[in-house]
Amino acid sequence: MKILLKAFFLLTAPINFAYAAEGQKSAGLPQMDIATFPSQLFWLVITFSLLYLFMWKFVIPRLGATIEERRDKISNDINDADNLNTEATDILKKYDEQMASASQESNEIITNSKKAMLDHLETLKKENEEKVNSLISESQAKIKAQEEKSKIEIRNATLDTVKAIVSRYIENIPSDEEINKKLN
Amino acid sequence: MAADNPIDPIHQFEISKIADIQLGGIDISFTNSSLFMVFALAATMALFVIGLSKKSIIPNRMQMLSELSYNFIANMLRDQVGDQGRAYFPFIFSLFMFIFFCNFIGLIPYTFTVTSHLIVTFAFAGLIFIAVTIIGFVKNGLGYLRIFYPSGIPIFLAPLIVPIEIISYLSKPISLSVRLCANMLAGHSILKIFAGFIVMLGFLGFAPLVFLVVLYALETLIAALQAYIFTILTCIYLNDALHPDH
Repeated sequence: MKILLKAFFLLTAPINFAYAAEGQKSAGLPQMDIATFPSQLFWLVITFSLLYLFMWKFVIPRLGATIEERRDKISNDINDADNLNTEATDILKKYDEQMASASQESNEIITNSKKAMLDHLETLKKENEEKVNSLISESQAKIKAQEEKSKIEIRNATLDTVKAIVSRYIENIPSDEEINKKLN
Repeated sequence: MAADNPIDPIHQFEISKIADIQLGGIDISFTNSSLFMVFALAATMALFVIGLSKKSIIPNRMQMLSELSYNFIANMLRDQVGDQGRAYFPFIFSLFMFIFFCNFIGLIPYTFTVTSHLIVTFAFAGLIFIAVTIIGFVKNGLGYLRIFYPSGIPIFLAPLIVPIEIISYLSKPISLSVRLCANMLAGHSILKIFAGFIVMLGFLGFAPLVFLVVLYALETLIAALQAYIFTILTCIYLNDALHPDH
């Protein structure tokens, strides 16, 4: 204790010096007045004990509970968010799958209908071609018949003309067979 | 005396009786020191009563303040001592808040700084020293004596190391108490001296006034810092008692 007091006086020497220089009747530092020690210690014990009890019984349990509660709430919320996130990921996955299958289906439909359309076009083309061909042959036959007919008509007309011309100049009118023979 | 010399820097540390109480011949009067101990107690209580009046998930300012101080000390104790320190948390927390408020209330002009009296800081330091020594022996038995002989020291150095360790161990309460008390005493005295210069120098007093403002900011820092240092050293001593091998 003596060492302690000495150290203390050394530490506070500049202040003591200043104090003395003020021309006061120095009674030393108030800190060294042993008469005040019991009172200081007594009230320190009382106030600090009260503070300790207050902290121990009131502050720490309540603050601890509040902080714990908040930590629980935060971790619960994080858990909830995680669950929701997993759920959303699942839904997204399902959606993607459905999208994939739907697009596959639609692709199939498109391919099928394309094929059907092409087939249909092909048959139509064939039918038309046949029709056109038959029409062409028919017309050709008609044309031929007409030609034949015209030929005969021309011959007949020629015959008549020849007959008329000949009858002008000669009495003896040749028969049709003779004219035909000559014409050929 | 104060009336004779209004700038006496020591006057602020004087203890004056408010109510004279004697108990079995011992003077336990209620003094200004006791009054400011009660103020520190009341300030701490006010902080936590207001802070905890509405405990909500999203804290308001006062609740934030009380939770910040709680977490600050809880983290300090956990970092220094670990989980075994939990039992001592109420004491460490009370210690910090009490010293913190004593230091800060003392910064207000015309107040009294409880922690500027060596007997108060020595009471804390002595209590901590005795408690830590008892905890050390209770938890480790005679193995606690290992703290005087750190592992890895050659045996021939033991006669040198062991006395040094014993002296450093025994000086812990002295250094702990004198550090806090001397900081408060010196800081407040210098503040008062410079405040006196302002009065003495008349209109030239703006120079010490500027210095006083800077010094006051420094003293505010020291008030918080010394409370922190006192508390963290207590945690370190406690850790030594619980884990003497380290």
